[in-house]
Formats: sequence, structure tokens, C-alpha cells
Amino acid sequence: MAAPHLRLTRPTVLPAALPLLAVLAAAGCATAPPAPVAEPGGAPMEEAPAPSPGAPSGAPPAVPPARGPVLALLDEARAAERAGDLEGAAASVERALRIAPRDAALWHRLARIRLAQGLWRQAESLARRSLALAPRDRALAARNWRLIARARRARGDRAGAREAERRALALEGAAG
Amino acid sequence: MARGRRRRRRGRRRGARRRAGWRRRIALRAAVLGLLALAAWVAWLDLRIRSEFEGRRWELPASVYARPLELYEGAAVGREAVLGELRRLGYRPVPGAPRPGTYALEGARLRLHTRRFRFWDREEPPRRVTVRFAGARVAGLATSGGGTLALLRLEPALVGKFYPRHREDRVLVRLDQVPRLLVDALVAVEDRGFWRHHGVDPRAIARALWADIRAGALVQGGSTLTQQLVKNFFLGGERTLRRKATEAVMALLLELHYSKEEILEAYLNEVYLGQDGPRAIHGFGLASRFYFGRPLEELDLPRIALLVGLVKGPSYYDPRRHPRRARERRDLVLRLLAERGVVGRAEAARAARAPLGVVPRPPALAEYPAFMDLVRRQLAREYREEDLRSQGLRIFTTLDPLVQAAAERALTRGIAALERARGLPRGSLQGAVVVLDAGTGEALAVVGGRDPRYAGFDRALDARRPVGSLVKPAVYLAALAHPERWTLATLVEDEPLEVPLEDGGVWAPRNYDERFRGPVPLYRALAESLNVPTARVGLEVGVPAVVDVLRRLGVRRPLRPYPALLLGAVSLTPLEAAGAYLTLATGGFRTPVRATRAVLTAEGEPLSRYPLETEAVLDPRVVFLVDHALQRVAREGTARGLARYLPVERLGIAGKTGTTDDLRDSWFAGFTGNRLAVVWLGRDDNAPVGLSGAAGALQVWGRLMAGLLPTLTPFAPVEPEGIEWARIDPVSGLRADGGCAGSVELPFIAGSAPVERAPCAGAPGPLRWLRRIFD
Repeated sequence: MAAPHLRLTRPTVLPAALPLLAVLAAAGCATAPPAPVAEPGGAPMEEAPAPSPGAPSGAPPAVPPARGPVLALLDEARAAERAGDLEGAAASVERALRIAPRDAALWHRLARIRLAQGLWRQAESLARRSLALAPRDRALAARNWRLIARARRARGDRAGAREAERRALALEGAAG
Repeated sequence: MARGRRRRRRGRRRGARRRAGWRRRIALRAAVLGLLALAAWVAWLDLRIRSEFEGRRWELPASVYARPLELYEGAAVGREAVLGELRRLGYRPVPGAPRPGTYALEGARLRLHTRRFRFWDREEPPRRVTVRFAGARVAGLATSGGGTLALLRLEPALVGKFYPRHREDRVLVRLDQVPRLLVDALVAVEDRGFWRHHGVDPRAIARALWADIRAGALVQGGSTLTQQLVKNFFLGGERTLRRKATEAVMALLLELHYSKEEILEAYLNEVYLGQDGPRAIHGFGLASRFYFGRPLEELDLPRIALLVGLVKGPSYYDPRRHPRRARERRDLVLRLLAERGVVGRAEAARAARAPLGVVPRPPALAEYPAFMDLVRRQLAREYREEDLRSQGLRIFTTLDPLVQAAAERALTRGIAALERARGLPRGSLQGAVVVLDAGTGEALAVVGGRDPRYAGFDRALDARRPVGSLVKPAVYLAALAHPERWTLATLVEDEPLEVPLEDGGVWAPRNYDERFRGPVPLYRALAESLNVPTARVGLEVGVPAVVDVLRRLGVRRPLRPYPALLLGAVSLTPLEAAGAYLTLATGGFRTPVRATRAVLTAEGEPLSRYPLETEAVLDPRVVFLVDHALQRVAREGTARGLARYLPVERLGIAGKTGTTDDLRDSWFAGFTGNRLAVVWLGRDDNAPVGLSGAAGALQVWGRLMAGLLPTLTPFAPVEPEGIEWARIDPVSGLRADGGCAGSVELPFIAGSAPVERAPCAGAPGPLRWLRRIFD
């Protein structure tokens, strides 16, 4: 299991818990994401795109994924984000993903949050998962490639970023 | 000598004067020293009190919670499942569901009044909700105001604890959470002068002495709540005079430093109120749950009176073992409360008519040893064992009690049925089950053996066994990554094969049925789990390439790159096998198996969260091809026996059987759209069990998924870009058309589908029907 994201707030643990806190804090230092970078293309978080309908190919699931709860959780995620609580926002999107695990837009949403947290590799992986779930949704695919380009550039992979941008452009061209 | 005597006499006179001075001085010194010693003693007691009272007061066990049940329109949760969850949570049926923790069934509707609960992300307030059901699904939620509610998250069930070594258990409560009535009753019964005295109550002591003298025995104690607390907190149960003195001094000191409220709160949490096997029940918060199955806030007068009465002797008045004594004690408390004006006489009389209201002893919170094992191991990477046992952490896991119950039932019943049907010695067969959410990798259920409550050897996590044919998808993933060489339609020779080994030996794989079939298309070699074609493909693509795929799938163990690996000479635990198959279920995204979502401190502050993570590790097109072949395993291959249990076609089930030499291990790994499960059967002594994967583990898997049927979604993988479909004649592996009997539709990586037409399809239109006549 990957290192957890630690969120230490007030030190309310009783004194004897200090060693534990120290351990956690040390672990936190190792995994604490860098501060989100300002993105030239606008605010780090755009409004979530409306969740895409069910997967475009393959047999339709017996029950369509519920929209109401997913939208409610996206609202929650947005509110958490506005309050600067990115991990809380991620928790809400993950809750939505448990309800609709094949919703490509939700995976993209989570990727955006990870990007804002500076978790570049996770951001890219989540965007790829979003791509895999809706390969024929060109608009969403273009957004995913844009996101991948940003994650790669932030990681120092400039060639990879250019390649991702090229793919995004091709999709945007075709979509527009 | 004479001189000496004189001198001595003189000396004696002088000495007498001096001695008087010494005596005075010694007495003075002794007095000073005594005072100093007393002061030091008091200071030491003071230090002890302050450090221990202010430092960690209690070692609190960690609380482990199951996943919360989420209700929303369309959720695959039936009414019975919700009622079962409510029972687990200690909700009570009360008409109109007036208070938190109550519900009412009103026809097809369920009226629900939820409790407040602090989650990782936020606190859920108490809500009044009506749930409508349609079959095994939630049809809708409405709030009491008539509005609709998109989503309702119930509090999670407490399913386990990590106890401190001394096995003291308690649920801490703040004074403001304790019903006023309980506080008043406690004070009235145990320490009437509590709000006035300074730690010791001379009047109470005098009263107690008088009572003792009258009775001629020790019948009444004059201890204040403060003294009782000191005794429990710092001193043992010894009843010596010195102890009494220490106790009194410490009680005075405690009162000097702390408010009545702080002392009372500590008392309410410290007091010993019962025993549950090795577990000691401390504090009113836990006692309320232990005896009445509900939180302290929800107690009524008779229950409060019973708890207050228990303080005097939790085992003597144990309401489960000695209900009559407990009842007499409770009624005595009620009379006392009425006498002392805490409650009205009519109210007390009414309460005395109520039954004790004690619930059957709750299960010992050790129902899921195998799952707890997984949680503990995953947390051990960030938390020290002693912190898990003492800091009162709140651990939110992914355990789904409904899935767990289905898995346990399937394994225990499946094993029993197999032993009967196969004439195996009873009790010889063992097994393990792991169930994951196929999208997020959350562990939903772990069963470590045929006796799921037995907290011994956890086979799901620790039984490392050769996986047999479970490894084959890795061989085909490696091969199909070269579409110019292999497709699902590529014919492979199923003919005797002998491979000289480095050590001079010869490796000659054989098929399970000892037959050879000649050329077979790749997809069928996987669907029928043919060893010889798989070995040929694996040898050609290279064992290292297969090892590389296994690594990508998530296998971390050291692997020995010998040819035998191609046919399953790889030992994995059921959990590891499940993790590897998860990468197939997600379309090529490795996703860590998680048993924990978040950890909070005892006060509800977030400590750590275990986020959903994923990583693209395989070409989605290649995974798509292998998943297709795995669906054929269930539809027409070695797992076709699943049809006995499930609508295989509708669910699009993908899976693989695994069998090892001499039928020692029987495996099945498979998934639907939302559930992935791995079943292993075998013996602890590794002796043959006479079961192939299909004859053994598959049967348990089928039972398990049949038990989950209403909640299953079909596996319908999204087709990646760069896939084409073609109709193939399986005999020739070439392009078929309507003229070919037994042709199959197969996916190909774009550009790799065969172009050449099969003999059965070779002829153009008009000639074809002619040929069919003559064939």
C-alpha cells in the first residue's frame, strides 16, 4: 500500500502520543506533497465537467450508475476545494467513484485534485484511467492529455509533455 | 584505670547535659526531617497525581470500523440488508422512529433516525429519513421535511478492536455527553456530599462508622467518588491503613488541582463495570454498549439505575448471570433516588416495573480475525504496534460485512459439500477467500480458513501456494504484446514437447487430461487451460518476458525464471493472487489492495488517509484481448461449471482455474464488473486433495458470487482504441464468414487480424452454397 496522505491538524493527541505523532510527522515529511503550483491556464481547479454517461461501448450495465449521489458528492468536493481542503475533496470524489467506478469524468476529477496537490505521477495515472474508460469522448480525452502534459512538465519530462500536448491538440482540432 | 574512671564520671555529667541537647536537637531534626519527608511524600504524590492525571490517563484500544453503508437511489441494497446493518449498529425498532438510533418499518418504507457520526471527511448529523425500496434496491430517500436526499451514509459498524495488553476496554465519554440523570443518580448513591467535600467526606465516614458499629460489621464505605477514583487510578485494591491514608491525601490533592467536573468525568470513564472474558469493561460509555447495545445518551431511567447499581459489584450484580440480584439492586437504587429527590416517586415506581433491558452478550468483536490481520499489517507500515493498542485510534476499514458473510458461508458450506461429495476425510480440507472491489481495489472480505472465527493461521495472507494455471494469463499477456507474431487466433501446436534443461534434465509438460489436440488457436489454449501450447508460447516469448508481466501485475515475490514458471511454479498467497488479477479487471491498471481508508485520533482528528491510487502498467489493448479470452474460460472453457451457479453470459464473468501437481491446490480467480474474488482450497499439510480448480475452488467461487448476485454488475470492458473484431474459423485460425460452422468473433489489435480466408470461407458468394451442398 502506498504511503498515506497525512493531515495533521491541531496537536490534540495527549502527550504520551507524541512518539506516534513524531513518527507520523516524519512519514508526513516524506510524502507531503509540494504546494500546488499556480497554473498559467487559469485557476488550478476548474469546475468539474458534468459526469459522462455510461461507458460508450460494451454491454450496458444492468443498472445505470446513480447520478444524484454522484452529483451531490461532486458538490461536496467543490466546496472542500474552495475551502482549501484538497484531501477532503479527493475523499468525496473517491466516495463517488465507489458508486460509479466506471465514470471517466470522476477519474479525471480526481486527477485534477492530485495535480493541484502536486502529486504528478498519480495525476497522470488517474488521467490515463479516465482515458481508458472513455476513449471515444474526445473532449474529455483532450482535457486528460492536457492534464498529463502539465504533470509531465512539472516532473521535468519535457518531451513527454510535448507529446501529450500534441495529442490534446489533435483531439481539440478534431472536436472543434 | 582510676584516672580513667574519674574522667568518665566527669564526662558523664557533661555528657548528660550534652545528651539533653542532642535529644532536643535530634527530636528537632527528626521533626524537621519528618516534616520534610512528609512534604516530600506529599510532593511526590502530588507529582504523581498531576503527571498521571494530566498525561495519558488511559490506554485506549483502537476501534476498527467496517465500511459505512451508503444509501442512495439505485443502491444495490435491499430492505433486509439495511435491517441487518441497523441491527449491527444497535438501532431499535420504535414506532415513528422518534430518537437517533431508532427505526420503524412502515410497509415498504423504512423510517430511520440516524445517529451523529464523525467521519474522516466530516461529521454526519442525525437525520430523519424515509427509505423506499424496490426489490433488492433503494428506490429513493426522503427527508422528514418532504425533500429528497441524494445520499445517506450510515454510521459504520464497529467490528474489531486492537486491545492494550492488559485488555482494559472503554469508550471515552465527555461529561456533556453523559445524561444529567446518570450523574445525579451516581452522586446520590455513591457520594452524596460530592459537590461539597474536598476529597474526603468526614460526615460520610462518621455515618459509615455508625452504620458499621450498629451492624457489627463493615457494611458501608465512607469513600468519596474522589477516593474511589484515586484507588482505581493509583493504588491497588489493598485495604491497609497506610493505603487509606495515602488515598485520603491523594484525594485531597486531586481536589486541590482539579475541578469537580474533571474528577467526575475521569471517574465515569475509569470505573470498572464488568468483564467479558479477558476483556475488562471500564467506564459508563462502554458499559452502556456492553449491557444495552446503545450509546449512553440513549439510556432511560431503569437502565441508568442498573448501571449505577453495578458500581458496587459488577460481578456480584452481573445482570446477565444474576438477573434477580441485579434487579433487586436496581430497584434499591430507584427507591434511593426517589428518597433523595433525584426522581419523582411515581417515576421510580414506573421504572421499577420495567424489565432489565439487557441485550444478549454482544459478540466479542473478534468476528473477522483474517480481515483484522490485513488491517494490522497494512497499518504496521506507519504505526507502531503499541500505538495501535493504546492510542484509541479510530480505524476506518473497507470491510463489507455483507460480502464477508457471503464469503464465509460459501467457504464453509462449499468445503463441507466437497468433502461429502468426494468422500474426503471430514475436516481435512482447508481454504481461503479474498474478495475485492474490482474498481478501487478495496478489500471487502477476507476469510482465512474454514472456521472463519478462528484467529489462527490466516491462509488468505500467509498460505503461499503454487498457483498452477492461474499464471497463464501472464504468459498470454507477454505473447499478445507482439501482435505481429501472436493473436488470439494464432494456432499453436498441442503436441508432445521436451525441453532440455540446464541441469541436464528434461522438462516435458503434459496437459491435464494427458491428451494432445494438434493445432489449437491461442484463445482456446487459454480457455481450455492447455499446458503444452502455453509452454510453447511461453518459451518462445521468453520466461523473462513473462516474469516482467508478473511484476507489472503486481507480484513482488522473488521469481525464479525457469520454464516451470510458465505452468504455475510460482507460489503466491490468495491475497497476492487477487492483487494480480485486479490488474486484469481494471484493464491494465495496477491498484494497491487497500483494507483501510483512514485513521483518526481518539478525538476525531484525521491522522492519515489511504487514497485510491492507480498506475497504468500494461497496454490496455493487450489486456482487452486476454480479458476476452478469460471470459471464454467461464463461458466455454474450464470454468463453464459456473453456469450452475450464475448467469455467466449476462455477468460477462472472466476467470481462471488453477490446479497444481497431484491435485494439491485448487484455485479459482475471477471477476464481474464490480467484484473480484480468489478462492484457494487445499490441505495445511500440502497433501493432495483430489480437486482440480474447477472441481474445488470454482464451486466455492460460484456459491460466493451467487450469494452476491443482486449486487453484481456485469464485466463489460471498455474497448480501447486500436481494436478490431474479426470472425475466425478456429480450425484454421483464419478469417471465417457465415459459411463456417463453429466460427468465433475475436478481438485483435488493429492490423493484426488474419487476412487470409479459411477454407470454409474461401469461395465467393454463389459458389459457396453449392459447396455446402457437396460438403
